[in-house]
Parts: sequence; C-alpha cells; structure tokens
Amino acid sequence: MTTTYEQLCAILVRDYQLQPEALALTAPLEDLGIDSLGLAELLFNVEDELRITLPPEAVDLETVGDVVRYLDELIAKPLAGVATGMGLEQPARPSA
Amino acid sequence: MRRVAVTGMGVVSPLGNGASQAFAQARAGHSGVHCLQASFTDRLTAPLAATASFNGADHFEPPKLRMLDRVSQFALVAASQAVADARADFPQADRGRVGVFLGTGMGASQTSDDGYKTLYGDRSDRIKPFTVLMGMHNAPAAWIGIEHDLRGPALTYSTACSSSAVAIGEAWLRVAHGALDVAIAGGAEAPLTFGSLKAWEALHTLAAVDPVDPSCSCKPFSANRSGMVLGEGAAMLVLESWDHAVARGAPIHGEILGCGLATDVGHITRPSVEGQVAAMVAALQSASIEASAIDAINAHGTGTPANDAVETAAIKAVLGQRAYQVPISATKSMHGHLLGATAALECVLSLLAMQEGVALPTMHLQAPDPLCDLDCVANAAREGLTVHTMLSNSFAFGGTNAVLVLGSASRAPSSGWS
Repeated sequence: MTTTYEQLCAILVRDYQLQPEALALTAPLEDLGIDSLGLAELLFNVEDELRITLPPEAVDLETVGDVVRYLDELIAKPLAGVATGMGLEQPARPSA
Repeated sequence: MRRVAVTGMGVVSPLGNGASQAFAQARAGHSGVHCLQASFTDRLTAPLAATASFNGADHFEPPKLRMLDRVSQFALVAASQAVADARADFPQADRGRVGVFLGTGMGASQTSDDGYKTLYGDRSDRIKPFTVLMGMHNAPAAWIGIEHDLRGPALTYSTACSSSAVAIGEAWLRVAHGALDVAIAGGAEAPLTFGSLKAWEALHTLAAVDPVDPSCSCKPFSANRSGMVLGEGAAMLVLESWDHAVARGAPIHGEILGCGLATDVGHITRPSVEGQVAAMVAALQSASIEASAIDAINAHGTGTPANDAVETAAIKAVLGQRAYQVPISATKSMHGHLLGATAALECVLSLLAMQEGVALPTMHLQAPDPLCDLDCVANAAREGLTVHTMLSNSFAFGGTNAVLVLGSASRAPSSGWS
C-alpha cells in the first residue's frame, strides 16, 4: 500500500530530481529549493498525481512532513468535503 | 557625458555558446541554420530554424528550472557569462547604481504556447501556477537582477527586431550620463515554438528551404533571397563607465559610442529609407562623429526582399560614395534572426570583429542583386583590416529603427568625450 509520503517523494524525485535521502519528513522545503511559490506549484502537481482537488486557499507548509500531514488530513475527510468546499473529487487512497 | 566601455560579453546562440565560440563560427562562415526536428515539423511550410545547443538542466537546479521559460534561461546564462568575463564581482559597488536592460520581442513563447494548448487544445481548466511569472516579458531581466543582486533599474524593452539595440542604447545613455556605473544590457529570445513559428509563417517573411543545402537558406543581399530564418538565444554585455573599468583593471572589449532611434510611420511592417536614414544619422550625432569615420557596418540584413534593398539605399544616403568602400556584414545569414536578441548578438560579433581586424562574411550571397550593390563581404570573412568604428543596424516591425555606434578598444576617443 503506497502512502501519501511515498507518493509525494515519488513526485519530488521524478520531477524535481531530488535525492530520496534528502526527503526526510523533517526536511524543510526551502532547503529543497521549494519556497512558498514553489509549494503552490508542488501542490498543483500533487493534485494531478493523486487525482484530488485541494482547497483554493494558500497554505503555509514548511517541511515535507507538513505537506504529508496536510494531504492526509484532507484525504481522511469524508467526501462530503466536496459539498462543504473542501473540493475533494476523490480520496487519494492508494490504488496501487 | 562619460565614455562607456564594454567589459563583458556572454552569448547563447545558434553559433555556439560563449562570445568567442560564436565569433569563431561566424568568422569561419559556418551556418547555424538547419531543418528543425520537432514534433510539429510536418505542419510547417518551411521548417527552418537556427537553434541554440542548450539544455537548461545543465545550468539550473530543477526547482528553479521549473520557474524559467527558455527565454529566461538564455538570458541568465548569457548574463552570467558576461559578468564572469568582465570579472564584475563588484564587492564595493553601490548595487543601486547597477542596472539591467534587456530586449525581447516575443518573450516567453513556450509558456504562452503551453498555456493555450492546455486551455484550448486539451480543454483543461487547470493552468500551471507559474504561467504568469514565466510568461511576463520582464521575467528575464528580473531574474538577472535576482541572480546578481543588482538593485538599480531592471528594464525590459520590446520593440520587435530592434529590442536589444534599444536596450543597449538605453543602458549606454544611463551610464554615459552618470545615472549608473554599470549596466548589464542585451537581449534574449526563444521563439521556436509551434505557435510562434506558425504566426511568422503566416506573415510570409520566412525563407524557403534551400533545395541543395538547408543551412544556406538565409541569403541576405542576394537576388535569390526569400526571407529570414528565425533563431534563438541571448547575448548580454556589461557596460560601465570607461574610468570605472580602467580603475578596476577590467578587460575592455570596445566601446559603445552612441545610439540613434527613429520611427517609420508609413506602415507597420514595410521599412522606409527615410526612417533608417534618420536612425543612422541620429546615431552618428549621438556619437559626435561624421559618417566618414565609419569603417564597417553590421547590417540588419535579414534576407527579406523588402529589407535588404531599402537598407542598401539608406546606407548610400548616409555614407554617400563611401558606402561602396565600407564592408557590410549580414551575419544573420549564419545565426538567423534572433528577433529581440539579434542586435545584442550582432553587437558582440561586431566588437570582436573590430578587435580581430575582421569583416565578418555575408554568407550564401550567391547571386548579387543590382539593388544591393554594396560591398557585402560575400561568402568569406575579410581579414587584416583596421576597423575602429562600426554601425550596427536594427530595423523593426512597428518601425522602431535603432542603430548602435561601436568603437574598438584601441580607438582614440573623439573630442566630444571627457
């Protein structure tokens, strides 16, 4: 079962060419070359990869672990979140 | 007015990366034009282009690369080359007195193309978050300022094919008048996208493929010329006051002596002798020199039927009988037309030509045109010349004509300069 962390790491390794060993949960995004603007783009790519829709509001996430927790919290919410503006088209439960 | 030295030069071009390499290729008459290999080639009428051998991943880490359109990548690499060439690590400089002046005609063509494809082609409502930041015309100049911590003005000029001549001219003015100590000036262009190529194709200004050798398709001043070939790349120069350069022991490649601007008002694309003459005369006046002082000219020389005949007439009007004695180089025959970056590239090539005592060739001049009867240095470089003062012509759609006056490093200053 693929976790959100693993999926996020796969994006960061494939598209950002980062080394897997640099992607600890505590790793600051800034140290990976991803600033607040870069985070917006990363989350855009996460939406594509995980086939989810994130809330439009900007979020302030500082570490890889922050991103994982943010995504997992949204994924854990019931699909009713769509109606309440959470925007989840479908949960990003691993399919593979 | 202060003298303005060129102390650094950087190039990304179809003739190679680095000013020296590009110059060597031009001196040898090598062409960077070829048939474009792209997914959309079969949808082009004449799939010619002059591409730069360039991979952004060789220069930028992925997180940054994802924010840079190809035009910004070119600009950043050329600017870094120029700064390194100038040994321009200015630890004591007031960085508020260092500016960036960049010309680009088409800007971030790939970003525009990608966005339109997503919205209209793929019918997606999701467009990349960096689209605005990558696509804005001032992105290349802004990135150069960020990269080198330059806090003076970062200005972008978009006057089509004369963009980087205008940028260099504006930088020259700021440094000459003392508003700035140093300027990074030049141009960048990355127009070889499907949308951009189709738009130019529709204008019927592009060259047909030479049936024998596609690399010979751009034929400025030749009777069988059929148009221009689009190219990509960037050229950036470090300009600084002569005294500033001497004081820090900087290498001096040459001098910007002046810049003249004049606008055609008759038609949006059709060049006019009057407008080109006015720009050349204004350039000479700005440099406080007579036409008789001009040793050579880098022509706009696009290879379009309209431009080359008009430019020939304009040069004759300005130089009189001397027009026939002055070597005239159309280097676009080799590097293609880099639109907003082309004047800066031609400025670099001209400065190096003066340094080396060479008139660069106009290649593929196979059939002299009676309307283009000047000495166009046909098909081979001319060596062993003494060239101290050159004009570099750039004439644009929209009618913005810009002419730079360039001096060799060894040229004695005219009396008008301090």
